[in-house]
Amino acid sequence: MATAAETRSVTPAAREGKPASFYIVAVIRYGFLIVISIIAFLPFVLSFLGTFKTNVELTSFPPTFLPEQWRVDNWVRVWNFSLPTVQNVVPIWIWNSTWLAIVNVLTQLFFCSLAGYAFARMRFPGRDWIYAFIIATMAIPAVITMIPGFVFFARLGWINTYWPLIVPSIVTPFGILMLTQFFKSIPRELEEAAQIDGLDRFGTYTRIALPLSRPALITLAILAFQGSWNNFTGPLLFLQRPEMMTLTVGMNFFRTQFSNDFSAILVGAMFNAIPVLILFFILNRYFLESASYSGLAGQ
Amino acid sequence: MRLRYGFALFPCPSRARARSLSDQTKEVLVATTSKVSPAPSGSRARSLARREAITAYLFIAPYLITAAIFTVGLLVYAFGISFTDLTATFAAANARFVGLDNYLRAFRDADFLAALGNAFWYFVIVTFFQTIGAILLAVLLNAKLQGMRFFRTLLYSPSVASSIVMSLIFLWLYLPTGFINFFLGTDIPWLTTPDRIFAGFWNAIGLGEVVPAFFQGPSVAWVAIMMLAIFTTIPTFMVMFLTALQDVPGYVYEAAAIDGATGPRAFWYITLPLLRPVIALVVILGTIGTFQVFDQVAILTKGGPLKTTLTPAYLIYTKTLGTGTQAEAGFAAAMAFILAFVIVGITLIQRRLIEQE
Repeated sequence: MATAAETRSVTPAAREGKPASFYIVAVIRYGFLIVISIIAFLPFVLSFLGTFKTNVELTSFPPTFLPEQWRVDNWVRVWNFSLPTVQNVVPIWIWNSTWLAIVNVLTQLFFCSLAGYAFARMRFPGRDWIYAFIIATMAIPAVITMIPGFVFFARLGWINTYWPLIVPSIVTPFGILMLTQFFKSIPRELEEAAQIDGLDRFGTYTRIALPLSRPALITLAILAFQGSWNNFTGPLLFLQRPEMMTLTVGMNFFRTQFSNDFSAILVGAMFNAIPVLILFFILNRYFLESASYSGLAGQ
Repeated sequence: MRLRYGFALFPCPSRARARSLSDQTKEVLVATTSKVSPAPSGSRARSLARREAITAYLFIAPYLITAAIFTVGLLVYAFGISFTDLTATFAAANARFVGLDNYLRAFRDADFLAALGNAFWYFVIVTFFQTIGAILLAVLLNAKLQGMRFFRTLLYSPSVASSIVMSLIFLWLYLPTGFINFFLGTDIPWLTTPDRIFAGFWNAIGLGEVVPAFFQGPSVAWVAIMMLAIFTTIPTFMVMFLTALQDVPGYVYEAAAIDGATGPRAFWYITLPLLRPVIALVVILGTIGTFQVFDQVAILTKGGPLKTTLTPAYLIYTKTLGTGTQAEAGFAAAMAFILAFVIVGITLIQRRLIEQE
């Protein structure tokens, strides 16, 4: 596919009559890009191919690229994996990760946009102070709130429940800031016209501001989804019962249970990676947008 | 409509533009609406303003409540337990106040000091290479040629998967019989080698026995994790640089070309200075992230071999969730606050340095 792009690119430039140096630079640029793209994507390809190999083949030297024989045993084995206490635990993990991600996305979209709308459009005493407070809280390293936070949640009796993964993140400072900035950037005329027509604040928010903010909402949804689906520390701390785990922690569990069963480990990694990668190839514009926002996040 | 990175930490030009635009529209609208309907006066205006304020507080109430409990409350609680001898998490009733003991102990604790040393090497090396790598890739991608979107998508993919997925994949790639050794033509047991990379240098000049472990550099296992981290974080930062590069109007380079600055000279004298605010942002984000490294260590090495990949975050985790004598949640909280001060301190110094220049 890359070489196709290369040949196509030359034609429009040729019509404009570019100097020879232009082509030399372009060819060098494509050369580097092709090599680096292969390096960037190779780990996924190699491990995907690896899921069809036996453990012997996976650990022999020199490593093989294509499986000697394509076998789906590993996928079946991992999918049907059962613990003494829980039958078929992998689909349960996938389901846990999925519904948690959906809950996190929906709550963040709603509560962040609600707060963002208030900061962008409404006047109230203390607004600027609260806004400064939100920015300040983003500077708190997660290491404090996460791990000693465990003791706090233990006091609340929230260990081995999903609450610590849902309630504190229904609304995030990052989401508020991002949507505040976005709401500020859309013109007020429509909302003012709607208010003259008798729509109240909540009405202008749901019927005017939200529909206009679709791109920003999709971007926030992706960030929230990635944050939840890829979250490791949170579920690792709070979910200790195997049937409650999410896929990321389940994979860690796998890794400690079968330290040398690389075929199982790779299948697990694929279960985790493939949904995000598919979403990424469909919505990659928004993913890239979300990366350029991450300056706000302070990680 | 596009929003940009960085308005929280660093004002950037596009934000200034957006703000001035919205201010203009506000003025225009105020002017027009005040002509149409005269502003309500006196008590009616006050009651309207009050209603508006109540509505606004209802809108932000979910944030205020969760922030009060899970940010302020949690911080105060965690700070409180850092002054106690709390052991296991559920033994809170037996915890006694011990003053600054935990903090003083942390500075003498060999594991914590080693972990801080490891985190420091990680911060220096990872931040440096991820920033340089991200700039170079962004420059490579910033061309009006066909197929750039395709390459951008492929290059971004390592940042899409979770750190857990990447760690599990690299667990296999880093095997002595794995692809990394195959491609490099080496046979290094990457994740189990505790040898420090500068030890050879110190031995060669006869100081190998004297020099403290920290100055002997990170271990091979730690370098392996660094390479993984650089590989997975470059793409995110690359997109931030690319967005900034695409904001640079073409005439800037045309003007520079007339003055004879093309190719590497244009990069050095035009592109890099224009990228400075983003470089600052990326370095600060990198600092915050690298000092808290946890996931890769938890999956790949659990702090070993010989504690050369132990990090403060992983140590704090083992102390908080440990069992028996390993359970020292009060001490762990103290270490977490020290680590937070280190992070905030370094980012403040970085910010000062950037503003000075």
